[in-house]
Amino acid sequence: MELSNKSSKVKMIASGIIPFAFLVIMIAYIFGPGSDLLDLGIPLPEITMEKVDFVDSEIQVTVRNTGPMPVEVAMADINDRIQPAAVEPDRYLDRYETALVRIPFEWNEAEPYIIGITVEDGTRFEKEIEAAAPALEPTLELAVFFAIIGTYVGIIPVMIGLLWLPFIKKIKKSKYHFFLALTAGLLLFLGIDSIEEAIQVSDESLADSFNGTLLIATITILSFLGLHYTGEKLIKKSETSRLTKPVAIALMIAIGIGLHNFGEGLAIGAAVGLGSIAFSTFLIVGFALHNTTEGIAIASPMSREKTVIWKLAAMGMIAGAPAIFGAWVGGFVYSPFSSVIFLSIGAGAIFQVIMTILKWIRVEGDKNLSSAAVVSGFAIGMLIMYATSILV
Amino acid sequence: MVASRSGIMMVLIVAMVAISAIFFVFPEGINAQKEEKTFVTHSGGVVKTTGEILDPLYTSATVEFDPMEFLRDFNYGRVTQLSDGTTVREFTIIANDDEIMEVSPGIFYNVWTFNGTVPGPTIRATEGDIVRVKFINNGEKEHTIHFHGIHPAGMDGVFEPVGGNGGQFVYEFESGPVGVHPYHCHVMPLEEHIVHGLYGVFIVDPKEERPPADEMVMVLNGLDTDFDTENNFYAANTIPFYYQHHPIQINTDELIRVYVVNMVEFDPINNFHLHGNLYKYYPTGTDIVPSFYTDMITLSQTERGIMEFEYEYPGKYLFHAHKVEFSEKGWVGIFMVHENKNAVESEGYGT
Repeated sequence: MELSNKSSKVKMIASGIIPFAFLVIMIAYIFGPGSDLLDLGIPLPEITMEKVDFVDSEIQVTVRNTGPMPVEVAMADINDRIQPAAVEPDRYLDRYETALVRIPFEWNEAEPYIIGITVEDGTRFEKEIEAAAPALEPTLELAVFFAIIGTYVGIIPVMIGLLWLPFIKKIKKSKYHFFLALTAGLLLFLGIDSIEEAIQVSDESLADSFNGTLLIATITILSFLGLHYTGEKLIKKSETSRLTKPVAIALMIAIGIGLHNFGEGLAIGAAVGLGSIAFSTFLIVGFALHNTTEGIAIASPMSREKTVIWKLAAMGMIAGAPAIFGAWVGGFVYSPFSSVIFLSIGAGAIFQVIMTILKWIRVEGDKNLSSAAVVSGFAIGMLIMYATSILV
Repeated sequence: MVASRSGIMMVLIVAMVAISAIFFVFPEGINAQKEEKTFVTHSGGVVKTTGEILDPLYTSATVEFDPMEFLRDFNYGRVTQLSDGTTVREFTIIANDDEIMEVSPGIFYNVWTFNGTVPGPTIRATEGDIVRVKFINNGEKEHTIHFHGIHPAGMDGVFEPVGGNGGQFVYEFESGPVGVHPYHCHVMPLEEHIVHGLYGVFIVDPKEERPPADEMVMVLNGLDTDFDTENNFYAANTIPFYYQHHPIQINTDELIRVYVVNMVEFDPINNFHLHGNLYKYYPTGTDIVPSFYTDMITLSQTERGIMEFEYEYPGKYLFHAHKVEFSEKGWVGIFMVHENKNAVESEGYGT
């Protein structure tokens, strides 16, 4: 009896390993040494200039080898005029390796520059900077400035939005559904907005080899799944603990919005860091207006609850404060890759929140999500966001 | 139990993703401390770095083609005489199109060469000599040699393409007129064959020799290393910034004669500006009297001429394209003028 049990176990392991072994053999055959099956043309070198910093009498460029083969950085130029430069740690870049190219240059503030890097086969890559601005140094003063901006963009508008709570509390169930659907509409717009932003950053500064769009899709879905899992856990827990279901949902919404606001803060910090003053002002005003609607999103589920002020305030902080951290990260340690990642996480978080809200509406009574209140709420939510987004 | 295990799995996956993302988010990473080097910029600024220095100007060039040797290298050919006393000069020029040359420190480019260099050899004859050029094409593509000057139709290097991998042709003609002329490959697509480097200089000396001088040849050329029909580099004699880093040594009170040929493609003009001096200029070199006394000439494609000047004061003098873009991309050099010991001595004897 024991023997047959053992042999069946061996069989099971073998049946798992054999296809795997075949897979390894096939890959070795296709890609292995001496294989000429895959000769798909001439590989071309490619580098991406991910970041350009204007410091004292010097322009510093972070370059990454994003091509299929190693490259050597051979020369730097500014506006197509050759300049002596230094490259740290060295000129040899393996795939995905980065180096810092330091080009001594008396640059002028607010002027446009085109930075060129030539690799060993003579190919020149360039990046255009619309207006040179001194790189931000992480001073306490600037950190405070970003914190204030983050507060104005994140915390205060969300808190203002929460002030609609007493109003939402007094309305009937169908109107309540309307507001929940409205929230979902608002959030769907925000999610799409995050993805659009992420695609934009990846198009501008991320090399093709990162497969930007697929990276965004992957991260968005991973963050959605992660939060979905945790969210369900949280709601399940709410059944047995003091945490009520509406509060659990509101908390999830606040976390989702918080992740999104981190992305917004990132955008503002990066815009200030890259010297786009007009653009950053625009972002600040636009996001501030935009974010009051996020307060409604949190208020809606909370309205079916005996509200405690400190709970609401905590939700507002969870949703709004990440804008401050986002601004710090965007302003001081900006990298296009981290931007894309954070924006995608934000998008995934938002989609998860939408799902939570829709589920909540179904539990509350509208099983098919097809009542006039829900449909119109969703539509109006989208429209409101579109209208405020024009300001951004 | 099952739920908590999958929870742990989820945490593990998220942690893995997060850790691998750090590599991309903070690309600079942490590098071990290295020795600091110092370099001086154009404007005299001092930069300290633990990395490598990228500088076509101040690092000593390790380039394969020596512009200093090319500068004063004139090839008079193998000389024989016909029964009537006419001088025959025989040259062998071999074309190639598969060579990779380091054209600027760290930058490698596929050059097409005559006798292994860009430009090809400067060949030289006296007016009326028979010039016989044995042309061998060891390249993969068809090539020819088209000489500027006067010669019969069949010797023009246009309608007689010479096949690659050992194809041969003998160009033979009487040299003339007097002057400095370019020669280049004339196979279509023409621009491609020229910009890759298939050109050189052909000097025809007058029967009555020009006055003795320190003679040199400067081919003004450009290199389009990324094939976008714009030059990435400009130079006198191929290597950008070479004569700035290795000044040309000349003497005061000595006649300098420069044969200048503009072989730049893609840009409508090029020019030559001399500092601290003016030169007598003979366009195309066909005239024996100078046409201009100037410090600046402008040259279109394959325009060329002879410049003559002497320096009175010793020291460093720049020469460069006054189209500053070209000089900032390599077409710039220095004459290092030394006190002429012989001249001083002869002056001493005279007084």
